[in-house]
Amino acid sequence: MTLAPDEDLMLQVRDGAGEMLGVLFDRYQTPLFNFYSKLTGNRTLSEDLVQEVFLRILKYRQSYRPGTPFRAWIYQIARNSRIDHFRKFPRETAFEPEMLAPVFPTDSAQEQQEVELLERALQRLSEEKREILLLCRFQELKYKEIASLLGCELNTVRTRIHRALEDLRKAFHQIAQGKMLKKAEAPAAPRGGGHEV
Amino acid sequence: MKCEQIAELFREYLEESLNPDQRRDVEAHLKECANCSEEVVLWQKLSLLPVEQPSPRSRARFEAMLQAYQAGRSDQPGSSPEWNKRPASWNFVEWLRSPLGTLAYGVALLVIGLLAGLRVGSPKGSPSQELADMRSQLASMKQLVVLSMLQQQSAGARLEGVTWSTRDQQLDPKVLSALLHTLRYDPSVDVRLAALDALGRHSSQPQVRTTVVNALQDQQSPLMQVALIDQLVEWHEREAAPNLEKLRQSPNVNPTVRQHADWAIGKLN
Repeated sequence: MTLAPDEDLMLQVRDGAGEMLGVLFDRYQTPLFNFYSKLTGNRTLSEDLVQEVFLRILKYRQSYRPGTPFRAWIYQIARNSRIDHFRKFPRETAFEPEMLAPVFPTDSAQEQQEVELLERALQRLSEEKREILLLCRFQELKYKEIASLLGCELNTVRTRIHRALEDLRKAFHQIAQGKMLKKAEAPAAPRGGGHEV
Repeated sequence: MKCEQIAELFREYLEESLNPDQRRDVEAHLKECANCSEEVVLWQKLSLLPVEQPSPRSRARFEAMLQAYQAGRSDQPGSSPEWNKRPASWNFVEWLRSPLGTLAYGVALLVIGLLAGLRVGSPKGSPSQELADMRSQLASMKQLVVLSMLQQQSAGARLEGVTWSTRDQQLDPKVLSALLHTLRYDPSVDVRLAALDALGRHSSQPQVRTTVVNALQDQQSPLMQVALIDQLVEWHEREAAPNLEKLRQSPNVNPTVRQHADWAIGKLN
């Protein structure tokens, strides 16, 4: 048995079979949630935005044209939902890493440490660069899809990814070095967590 | 080849979809260029980042949204071509948000009430069954309205949703669980406070008590913490003592909250 392609399901949703959206929700809620949570660091907001994406799909379902790759279409909606949200609530734009779920223990302590370093390096990138890496690496969008999503040329996408990766490498180095220095100075400092008022 | 050109091929390189010539070029460059070989390693490591799972509530919220939409659709003329030409009018949830929608909903309730009254008043037929049906339809309608309001972007609308939920003595399980979710996760403190207030009336439900006790650990806002403590003291909830103790000892807690927790511990013992 083969799974129905996203595009066929979306056409059914468009033609009135709203319940088929549930299948698409199951396929996309986790990737979308991760796209948002890695971009904003805020779980609650990320869940809200995922709901908003599906509400918009229902709302604009008539604008879905056969032949449009569904993945690219849904990410277009996802980007717009986020942009609209931050237009409404500009103060919330900052990354809020304390809201992130704790890193799950992985096989080795070293791997876990590297994951943590990488997450922190990613947070240091500008949002634009973080986004392009997430789209390309986690959401597995093709370069061509990213180009149409961001409204730029294919070559620009390649250049931007290259620059983002370069920044990531630098940030990773800085953090890793800082960590080594800290280790040399003091064994372990408690992690302070701020609290909202 | 330049670094930039090489970096463009990382993805295909790692997916092993390059042709042999390109592959040879990339490998030769990586041997010579430390930066690029670090970048390719980072690129690979990005896949190690953990995939986070959204909370299970997310699916339920989606279901409620879909149900509200489908309930709205059954009131519409159906999928006629005309229907397609009026994309703005089909969305029931959207429509309910507007003042007009609220008004229309009120009028609908009034009409249902009047009809039910007439039925009861009329001598013939067996009204009790129909009345019961109408009541249950009305209840599920209200439940839909509350659920959809609790999911609105605007904090004001969500606040209104919480207020709506307090109109019934008996809470529907779905509304209850939506309120509990609001209490824990709503981004606005005001909405969370209102949810706590609404839930205060349903202390007989064990879920409500447990969630409020646990919320002591999650909520960071001092306002919220104080309100939770007050509620727990009002219920004489002894189960809360360990969490109150934890809160009191937490290094980041606001001094007023700490004092309040002290007072509550005294009250509960």
